[in-house]
Amino acid sequence: MNRYPDGIVKEPPDWLSRRGLLDALLLRLKGASQRLSIVLLDMLAIGVLWILVSYIISWHAHGVIAYTLVPWWLFGLGVVEAAAIWESFGRSLGHLVARKELRPREGGESTLGQRLVYYIGWHVTVLPMIGLLASPPWHERLAGLSLRPVSMEGHKPAPWWRTSSGIYVAVFLVVGLAAAVSVTMDEESLTRLFTQAGRTVKFWKALFSPDRSIILPSIRDLLVTVFMAVMATAFAVVVAVPLSFLAARNLMRGPIGRSLYTVLRGTMSIMRSIEPIVWAIIFLVWVTARRAPFAGVLALWVHSIADLTKLYAERLESIDPGLVEAITATGASRLSVLRYAVVPQIINPYISFTLYRWDINIRMATVVGVVGGGGIGQRLFFYLKNLAWQQAGTVMILIVILVWAIDYLSSRLRAKLA
Amino acid sequence: MSSNQTATATPATRNFWNALRRRALSFFLDWLVWGYVAYGVMYLLNKYWWTVPLERFYSTLTLPSWGWPLAILGTLEMAVWSRNLGRSLGLRAFGYEIWGADGKPPTLSQRVTRALLWHLSVLPLGMGIWLSPERPWHDQGAGTVVQPAPATRLAGRRKAIFSQWGLMSLFLIGFTIWLGWLIIQIDIGILFRRGDEGMRIWREMLHPDFRYFAVPDPAFELRNLPYSILDMAVVTLFMALLATIMGAAVAFPLSFLGARNVMGFNPVGWLVYFAMRGFFNIFRSIDTMLWAVIFAVWVLWGRPLAGVLALTVHTVAALGKLYSEQVEGIDPGPVEAVVATGGSRIEVIKYAVLPQVTPAYWAFTLYRWDINVRMATVIALVGGGGIGDLLFYYKNQGDWPKVGAVVMVIVAIVWAMDYISGRLRERIT
Repeated sequence: MNRYPDGIVKEPPDWLSRRGLLDALLLRLKGASQRLSIVLLDMLAIGVLWILVSYIISWHAHGVIAYTLVPWWLFGLGVVEAAAIWESFGRSLGHLVARKELRPREGGESTLGQRLVYYIGWHVTVLPMIGLLASPPWHERLAGLSLRPVSMEGHKPAPWWRTSSGIYVAVFLVVGLAAAVSVTMDEESLTRLFTQAGRTVKFWKALFSPDRSIILPSIRDLLVTVFMAVMATAFAVVVAVPLSFLAARNLMRGPIGRSLYTVLRGTMSIMRSIEPIVWAIIFLVWVTARRAPFAGVLALWVHSIADLTKLYAERLESIDPGLVEAITATGASRLSVLRYAVVPQIINPYISFTLYRWDINIRMATVVGVVGGGGIGQRLFFYLKNLAWQQAGTVMILIVILVWAIDYLSSRLRAKLA
Repeated sequence: MSSNQTATATPATRNFWNALRRRALSFFLDWLVWGYVAYGVMYLLNKYWWTVPLERFYSTLTLPSWGWPLAILGTLEMAVWSRNLGRSLGLRAFGYEIWGADGKPPTLSQRVTRALLWHLSVLPLGMGIWLSPERPWHDQGAGTVVQPAPATRLAGRRKAIFSQWGLMSLFLIGFTIWLGWLIIQIDIGILFRRGDEGMRIWREMLHPDFRYFAVPDPAFELRNLPYSILDMAVVTLFMALLATIMGAAVAFPLSFLGARNVMGFNPVGWLVYFAMRGFFNIFRSIDTMLWAVIFAVWVLWGRPLAGVLALTVHTVAALGKLYSEQVEGIDPGPVEAVVATGGSRIEVIKYAVLPQVTPAYWAFTLYRWDINVRMATVIALVGGGGIGDLLFYYKNQGDWPKVGAVVMVIVAIVWAMDYISGRLRERIT
């Protein structure tokens, strides 16, 4: 803004010029948005705490889930009031995060009267949001307080249990943990956790006395799982490599390029958010359970495309532009630039990412089998469903060996590529 | 690879054994490749020649009893000849090459001699290697050496694609795709033949039914689950949160027990170190979903506690490994400084290790939280509770609009968590 030292600029800035007006408006908008974000953060903090507390109360008192315990308008009103009180009479979480505090403009400590005026003025100013556009806002002017960066001079920082934000965070952690514990743990299952450990003994025993008669067929299923991962990765690479160029920010310039980039990245991000298991149940219905491994491959394929495109594109975004410029400067065609400037920089990371994804796919392939996606997972789930613990343990050993071996192999190869 | 590993020079014995080990590994790689080819050929013969007429036929391997020794010996022979008559995949992978002792490329007669002598030298319990480890009998007899390939390209060398290993790699890629295609029973056509069915699912999922977003679905009263989608989403988040907190709390102390630079000072320390590392590795290889099955049998099927415990166990193992690797990668300077002032092991951890690893610990924990949220959304499939319960229930009912609604909520949760944890991690590191 136009705050030049006096010695350099004699004239005060021209407030009537367009530039000056714009500056003034910007200054006020900045102040308003800062105060508004502080208020919103405080309201969010109080609202979440309220929801958590009523969650616990309703869960324990009525055995149902309720989020506010009161009508929603009362909830809204309460949150706003609580935020106003917190900001007026203490140093709220929002102040803490923004590293600001309320202090009298003339220095010294604020009085209760000032705080009260601030509290009343807050409603007039912040709720209609008009007063916020004044600089400083109306309620601060009325109370003679101002929101300033924290100064540490003259006093020691208070310990956390003496500050309202510190107490809030502590209460929030306790309540949050209590809510988490109370919805995820019930008496019945906790009792069983401590009394019914015997139910799994057969399974652990089976880990030491595997059923040798099913090892050979299990290895065949293991091979199917490996092939599922290989096929899914191979087909995903074929799709993801071209897509990655379209999803790299530094290559996609211009309005068309940028919108394509946004659409692609968004789609990939959604596809990645859906677990392969969910993809597998969709594809299983589509290609029918008779082709279970195929459904598994399709599920892994879709998820791998999304994941690999993201990894590849991020790698493309971080290539050294100097090399590209150097080759372009020699008058090379786009293809030559790609061949001599881009590809050498990305080939090793691409292979490394692919190996990494293959490693993940092997693990995922065992899991996808559980929904009926074929391979070793299907066999394992079959045994588990029929409570054939010894066989399940045997299969589990084989899976652990496979995953271990692939993990080792892929990390060794990746270390070599890096 | 250092250049002093040539067989003609007489380097330190240790280097030599190292080289020998690598040569053996490279040989086994070749053998493995040919074994894989043999498996594929057997598979194709089974499939196309004496087909077993089974509906669910895949990966069946039927060999007569005399076939096994034949297959083993045959692949062994293939490995030997492929190594001697050109640059095989195994030689290439480990960067070796066969050369004449006079520094010239080996002649054909040298190559054949080497392959034949190999049988005399290696088959009788590897006598030719043990008795003359500096240069095994078959190399001596044929006047050849096996040495690391020069880093620079030699003039007159074939292009990679026309060399034996290049052709072999191309063949293996094609062969694998072919085999995989048959084993997986890939049938692109069915996607179109049942295209109507697939499109129906997608159409219905894209018209989600949010009727029971905030109101519990009456269908669940039978199962005593008075939850709406929103309730289940909250429960899922809590499950992931609790599992991450508990997992991190357990993994934190264990990570120091699994770090070489903290434990590796005496035999007991080493023992604890290896026990911890083994624990991390084994428990990590068992997927969360499999843990969930075990815990679902233990506590009740479908209760969130089963899911929380499964997530916790896997989190402990995964975080423990990440944490302890972080501890192993610290700068030893501060540790030595604290040790030099006479600090105890606890003090070393507190003043020298912790300040260096804390940011990374936070980053890993956030990352794990992200993964746990993802896993918690589907862990219900194996009795772990959470929002997946609704997903799989509606899917079994064939109620795709409601499946669509649940999937959209899951995507929103996972996406938001991904974003938040990514932003937080950026700030930390």
